[in-house]
Amino acid sequence: MTFFLKDINKIVDWSALIEDINKENAYNPYCRSKDNYSIFKHIIISMLRRKDLILLDSDFSDSELETLTNRSDFEEFNIRLDKPESSIQNKSELIEKLKSTDDNWKITLFTSGTTGVPKKVTHNFKSITRFVKYSEQNKDDIWGFAYNPTHMAGLQVFFQALLNGNSIINIFQLTKEEIYKEIENNKITHISATPTFYRLLLPCSNSFPSVKRITSGGEKYNEKISFQLSDIFPHAKITNVYASTEAGTLFASENDVFSVKSEFKRLVKIENNELFIYKSLLGKSELNINEWYNTDDLVEIVSKDPLKFKFISRKNEMINVGGYKVDPNEVEENILNMPGIKDARVFGKYNSVMGNIICCEVVCENEQIQESEIRSFLQSKLQEFKIPRIFKFTNKIDTTRTGKTKRT
Amino acid sequence: MDKRLLTIINTVLLNRGKKQVKKIKSKTNLRNDIGFDSLDLAELTVRIEAEFDIDIFEDGIVNTVGEIISKIDSKK
Repeated sequence: MTFFLKDINKIVDWSALIEDINKENAYNPYCRSKDNYSIFKHIIISMLRRKDLILLDSDFSDSELETLTNRSDFEEFNIRLDKPESSIQNKSELIEKLKSTDDNWKITLFTSGTTGVPKKVTHNFKSITRFVKYSEQNKDDIWGFAYNPTHMAGLQVFFQALLNGNSIINIFQLTKEEIYKEIENNKITHISATPTFYRLLLPCSNSFPSVKRITSGGEKYNEKISFQLSDIFPHAKITNVYASTEAGTLFASENDVFSVKSEFKRLVKIENNELFIYKSLLGKSELNINEWYNTDDLVEIVSKDPLKFKFISRKNEMINVGGYKVDPNEVEENILNMPGIKDARVFGKYNSVMGNIICCEVVCENEQIQESEIRSFLQSKLQEFKIPRIFKFTNKIDTTRTGKTKRT
Repeated sequence: MDKRLLTIINTVLLNRGKKQVKKIKSKTNLRNDIGFDSLDLAELTVRIEAEFDIDIFEDGIVNTVGEIISKIDSKK
């Protein structure tokens, strides 16, 4: 039997979901909840009733809400819902109705705001489900849900699972042991998450054959992690995706080189190593975009025709050390290659001599590693100005709401 | 204080794989005598700030050990 959602201490089957939807008699366009089921149900109702929806992170503070929406309380937007003409009878009817959602439905979300105030982006059904694949082949997929449900990546997984009638098991913000238990018990077949999430799963001596597909995105792809994951999930195809809140999933690849498909050929360009995408690929946002949208992602061209590129870094993540630009991803990658190191976070801190000084937080696997050992390890791999000068040993690296390594 | 400062200077040298110094004098020049480059000086400021709560380079360049000590003293 497939259920709709398994969350912490709660299983909701499809019939319970349908019953809840049928009896719902109130609606609020603003959706803010800590509960995945409430959020998912809210999205489904908004689609069925063609009501606009604005997704808010549950941990937005009142002042953030004021900045984003001019208010921190949304009670006044509550409306009564009329009884629908006919009740939904079963799962397949529900899915067919959802698939026929038209352009009168709009969903608004906010970027994770790692670079200041979150940006508001509005999508319609077509743009948010552009990369959803529904087919007979996908009908038995079981999804491990490893994202914040109000962010783009989480929504992509949600729609992929929903429109195929798959079960969703929440594995976001669980411990490593709990995650493996869920994968094992529910025979999870698909997981989509950030490299930071996958790092949390390492090391592991067991293997989980049920998993058929591992998707990694949101941060720079890491070959070492991918290699370790293929031991843990021996039957999984590992895919790296490039996606953004503005455009959703755009490119997928089996390694770190993205190929631009022929249908996107005229909609993607690279200038001065910066990736631009054409406005027709974007959701509607408050940004004033002429024709081309600068993703602020730095890429390296691998081949021009057909266009292939590698993701290097977020442009604004670069740390300026005395005029030299340091890519924190590159430094982290090198640190993570040192045996005994489990996780690392590299960031810049103001310094009166160099403008910025490179700092690093490190999580070690077992024994305590000395700062000088890490530095001498890095000396053969990185230029001196890229090597962190201040180290802090810690048990856990903070992540953003989206589950990426926190930079500031 | 000389001793604490010497420890900090030697930590920076050790981390960088450079030869440590046995003693420092007021006239000891950070670049010429100790062999610090800009990156080492940047690290030195962070470590001194953590220990003595003063950014020695805040108002401009500092060249000698004596100048660091007078900065730290002025804070007291």
